[in-house]
Amino acid sequence: MSGLERELRALSAVVDWPAEPDVATTVADRLGERPPARPRRLRVAIVAVALLAALLAVLAVPPARTAILDWLGIGGARIVRVDELPPLPARRDFDVLGHRTSSVAAQAGAGFPLAEPPRDEPAPDEVRLAPGLRVSYIWRDGDDVRLLITQFPGRVGDPALLKKLVGRTTAVDRFEVDGDPAVWLEGGPHAVLFVAPDGTIRDDQGWLAGNTLLVDRDGVTMRVEGQLEREDAVELVRATRGR
Amino acid sequence: MHQGIAFRVAYVAAGERGDAEEAVQDGFVKAYRALGRFRDGAPFRPWLLRIVANEARNRRRSAGRRTGLALRAAAASGDAAPSPEAAAVAAERRDELLEALGRLDERDREVLVHRFLLELGEEETATALGIRRGTVKSRTSRALERLRAMVGEAES
Repeated sequence: MSGLERELRALSAVVDWPAEPDVATTVADRLGERPPARPRRLRVAIVAVALLAALLAVLAVPPARTAILDWLGIGGARIVRVDELPPLPARRDFDVLGHRTSSVAAQAGAGFPLAEPPRDEPAPDEVRLAPGLRVSYIWRDGDDVRLLITQFPGRVGDPALLKKLVGRTTAVDRFEVDGDPAVWLEGGPHAVLFVAPDGTIRDDQGWLAGNTLLVDRDGVTMRVEGQLEREDAVELVRATRGR
Repeated sequence: MHQGIAFRVAYVAAGERGDAEEAVQDGFVKAYRALGRFRDGAPFRPWLLRIVANEARNRRRSAGRRTGLALRAAAASGDAAPSPEAAAVAAERRDELLEALGRLDERDREVLVHRFLLELGEEETATALGIRRGTVKSRTSRALERLRAMVGEAES
């Protein structure tokens, strides 16, 4: 790199850009005037809608006039309520959750404090690791997945490690698990999506969760998904403690 | 999340704050409504930046405004307590560079600002400006030469 290039790069830190306007409210109002036609063919389109919706929701948009109906945040997960859910794919591809590995290797490679699988459950059928991003424990029942527990580093206020897209019919209940903030999602489908560090949007199409519990424990969010009642999910989270 | 960078890209293209703000608004609305054309797996940010930049450029052209960009350096910060003399020299050099950037041809300026001041990668710059990656490389190289002819190389 030449000296001039270095100088230009150094300038980036000191340029006095004009103050950034708050355009979110105006944009949201305009979007609320006419909901966009939503093409069915592109799943990713919906994901991007959520991203944009999240962007707007962050800035406290009046919800009644927009497609964004509600906004909840917990740990590294953001929950965005939308008018209509995308068609949900049925594929069971877990590659998006990371590569297969062992529990021991996941502990070593997670890059954040990782809770072990719950004590009273059999060992997971699969452990998937995306270093620094998330670790998933997967229990299978034939071709189906019975239980999925994912942990990811979630700093409160982090714009996007994971987002969840929920429909109108999904009940969202905030509570606490032993003093840790928690969210329970029940009664309707929801999709999970990630924003990868390179900015690529990836939806978590491997698992279309039944009921879901999210608990933020000291900056690491644990997500428990499966055909579970709330009490069962809470017990699972508790059983991952006390290592 | 993308609002800050979108506004700066718009400001570079429009050269004026009011138009940049309107371009961001229109760009976001258009992006929202054009999501069906968003390519599966493609990075979202460059796509959004391109739409915003196009909006901004169109506004500047329809207003019949010349291209130009007035950038200033903020008060120096982050330097390891330089002497007043060194700080003054550095500040002068920064102003000189920014002023020269403002005088460059639009295409030269855009590619340098995107690559260096906004710190976008080659690929992202290519998408945002609607040109090929190879063009980003060659245009950057030529623009640096022209800038060097105006301000010289750093002394140290």
